[in-house]
Amino acid sequence: MKEDGGPRYPVLVRTPSRTWWLRAGPYRRFAAREITSMFAALFSALLIAFLFALSLGPHAYGRFLSFLGSTGMLAASSLILAAVLYHMATWFRLTTHIVVIRLGGRTVPRNAILAALVVAWLAVSAAVAYFLIWF
Amino acid sequence: MAERTISLKVARYRPEHRPDQYFDEFDIPYREDMVILDALNHIKDELDGSLSYRWSCRMGVCGSCGMMVNYKPRLTCSTFLREFYPKPIVVEPLENFPVVRDLVVDMTSFMQKLQSVKPWIIRHVDPPMEAGEYLQTPAEVEQYKGFSMCINCMLCYAACPVVGRDPDFLGPAVIALAHRYNMDSRDQGEAERQRAIAVDWGIWDCTFIGECSVVCPKDVDPAAAIQREKVAKTTNTMLSMLLPFGGHE
Repeated sequence: MKEDGGPRYPVLVRTPSRTWWLRAGPYRRFAAREITSMFAALFSALLIAFLFALSLGPHAYGRFLSFLGSTGMLAASSLILAAVLYHMATWFRLTTHIVVIRLGGRTVPRNAILAALVVAWLAVSAAVAYFLIWF
Repeated sequence: MAERTISLKVARYRPEHRPDQYFDEFDIPYREDMVILDALNHIKDELDGSLSYRWSCRMGVCGSCGMMVNYKPRLTCSTFLREFYPKPIVVEPLENFPVVRDLVVDMTSFMQKLQSVKPWIIRHVDPPMEAGEYLQTPAEVEQYKGFSMCINCMLCYAACPVVGRDPDFLGPAVIALAHRYNMDSRDQGEAERQRAIAVDWGIWDCTFIGECSVVCPKDVDPAAAIQREKVAKTTNTMLSMLLPFGGHE
């Protein structure tokens, strides 16, 4: 080693390509996961706009609802729903790699954690649907 | 019957001859039980003695023979030619490392990163020798055993695009090793070690692509180790903010 810490022999430094994330399936899936997170942000923005319209009174709220019901917004909402579902599925799978749950001296298998997450998600969705439809 | 052959395209870098990387193609006799490393040894012994590469144990333990095989990081001693035959095979030095010569990469930065996380058992006070050895239950061993299987082959670094973009990133194997000691019931150095890894070029640099765990020949799962250290660090910081004596900064 030289004084400055650099190598004392010539080395070839390769620069990674800017399109590395397109190169292989796993990298493309990672990119898809990150890109779909923007749709989750978009959904949050819509939700905030929804609350804002509500705060402006019945007239503004009604106008916002008819805007949401337009063909363009229905298409956009379908796209957002698909992207957010994909994003959620990737994170459900990744969570099973992060969380370690030990029950009775044994580690809970990854698939059991994944199943619990899906059941919890379905339960919350059912509860929300129940309140939306019957109240 | 004519002898079956397979073609290997091998990356070359010989700075005293030319400044850039280039490829040499070799046709070598093919056998079903041959691994990439056997093919490279055949080239060196029979075709071109100037080819340089690292290897030692031939049995997936020493971690020296990691290279890019058809653009994926693999241990060449445990990658069979039959996986690719009859198609040609491209062999390159591990990605994300400077190349010293042909298939040999410079490990200097990896070795420095390895030391920086203090991968040894840290005790506040060592009990006297007469007190005997530290005892552990099988469950306590289970906590860190998987993470102790790393052979420093650096395949995870070659698979990690973050290492490619930020050469200062401590990287998967180093953080997995830090996690291995943090999970060891004999160790008391978690706070010290977290100061080394909970930095912008440490755990927070990881975007959880997860390929490090996929390519690991020893199933170490460095991606999980890094995310668990993120959770541990966040928990410690929150506890130290909320409780007078909880957690550690």
